[in-house]
Amino acid sequence: MSVLSEFMNSYFLWRDPMVVGMVSGSICGFLGVYVVLKRIVFVSAMLTQISSLGVVLAFYLQGFSTLFFLTDPSLLSLFLTCAAVLIFSLRERFLYISQESVIGWGYILASGLVIVIGDRITQGSHDVASVLFGTAVVVERHETITVTITAVVFFLIHWFLFKDFIFVSFDPELARLFRYPVRGLNAILFLSIGVVVAITTRALGALPVFALLVLPPVFALLVTDRLKLLFVISPFAGLLSAALGYFLSFVLSLPTGASIALVAVFFTVLGGICRRFGLLL
Amino acid sequence: MDDFIIRLEKVTIGYNGKGLVGPLELSIKRNQFWGIVGPNGGGKTTLLKTILGLIPPVRGEVRYGESGSLVFGYVPQSGNFDHLFPLSVAEFVAMGRYCRIPVGVGIGRRDWEVVIRYLKKTGILHLRNRPFKSISGGERQRALVARALSGEPDVLILDEPTASVDVRGEAEIMELLEEIRESKAITVLIVSHFLNTIVRFADHVVFIDKDRGAFLAGNKEEVLTDSVLGDVFGLDVTVKSRM
Repeated sequence: MSVLSEFMNSYFLWRDPMVVGMVSGSICGFLGVYVVLKRIVFVSAMLTQISSLGVVLAFYLQGFSTLFFLTDPSLLSLFLTCAAVLIFSLRERFLYISQESVIGWGYILASGLVIVIGDRITQGSHDVASVLFGTAVVVERHETITVTITAVVFFLIHWFLFKDFIFVSFDPELARLFRYPVRGLNAILFLSIGVVVAITTRALGALPVFALLVLPPVFALLVTDRLKLLFVISPFAGLLSAALGYFLSFVLSLPTGASIALVAVFFTVLGGICRRFGLLL
Repeated sequence: MDDFIIRLEKVTIGYNGKGLVGPLELSIKRNQFWGIVGPNGGGKTTLLKTILGLIPPVRGEVRYGESGSLVFGYVPQSGNFDHLFPLSVAEFVAMGRYCRIPVGVGIGRRDWEVVIRYLKKTGILHLRNRPFKSISGGERQRALVARALSGEPDVLILDEPTASVDVRGEAEIMELLEEIRESKAITVLIVSHFLNTIVRFADHVVFIDKDRGAFLAGNKEEVLTDSVLGDVFGLDVTVKSRM
């Protein structure tokens, strides 16, 4: 039996993870365009770590608290990510330290706490490892629904506010002159990135989510000089990276998160070759 | 009643509550062409941004005509844009139209017609599908002017619009501005290092130098005198009026 037919016959095993991966890939690829254009790649790295911190903290607190808010990994992860997003989107400087340095500080703090708290958890250690390294191959039905609804909602919000998000990202001074709510639009933009990071990190893991936020937009920037096409190519590249990553992970028995990230890297190499030879869309 | 379009009343300009120069009194009327001159770091751009409302005055008040609001067309100092954004020239120019398009509403057919009209007027219609980052300095200045005009502004404000173009490009841009002011009856405020440009095109001049605490405003003949040019720019000149 060929590898492909074996894969197809096992669809009941990979169907839900594949759907979640593809939906996550497309929404992360879409929002990642802003991450790359606004030169805030490390914000997404920090957010994925803060989201992971929410998950491990919830597992840890399960031993001490009965409060649902504190012990539900998805809810605490979402709360911490959104709080970080709001703080970082509304302030440009912190005590004379640049935002970039504070992002590095936040990344290191979150990463350190994830490892320290993760070390103290005995229950659910497999889940913690899944979140950190993206080895999750099984997703629950409610995760598929949550990720899909989240993606649809944010695609719609971005459809309606596309012109405005591009405007405040490209020329915030002119946007202020035209009385556009620059801070409000930036807050919505960052919040959408934060919510998507929190929800997809829970389903896929930190590494593949970071990869899907950064690499598909880089690929798209390499293969086109057209703004609107960028927002079509990048989500499609994210979707393909997730689908191919899952396929390779299944047939070659590789860690899923790493497979997705490496396929996304492959796309950027392909994009670089296209740019080098002038093969642009 | 003074029929001003912009009036500065006892305004002190500056940043973060720290005054640079003031109190300033300035009254700008419809269809006037103002040149703003002064040494580097003298406060010209801060004055422009205060007039635009981008920087709040430290003290005093900036008033906008009878309606209390104006549509501004703004040409900032060039080279401040992030070329990672793959915008076409037409998409870039269309942003100037956003002052007339609310948040959440896309660019309509009528808006694109206006954008095309100003691309044509500034002589860059043939570049409309080219990436903004790939065009020359002179073409970029024209795109900036087209962007400022596409909002059909009451007041056009330009910060060093000819700084990165050659002599011919400068003459073309200035003649275009003069033509637009005459045909559209809009007010123009321009910051320029080139005194000859200001003398040729402006009918009113602001001279500002925060280090000397100097601020003069009025007809160009009143402001650009032998003593101002000699003291500030170190020019040994005699100003003669053209008959």
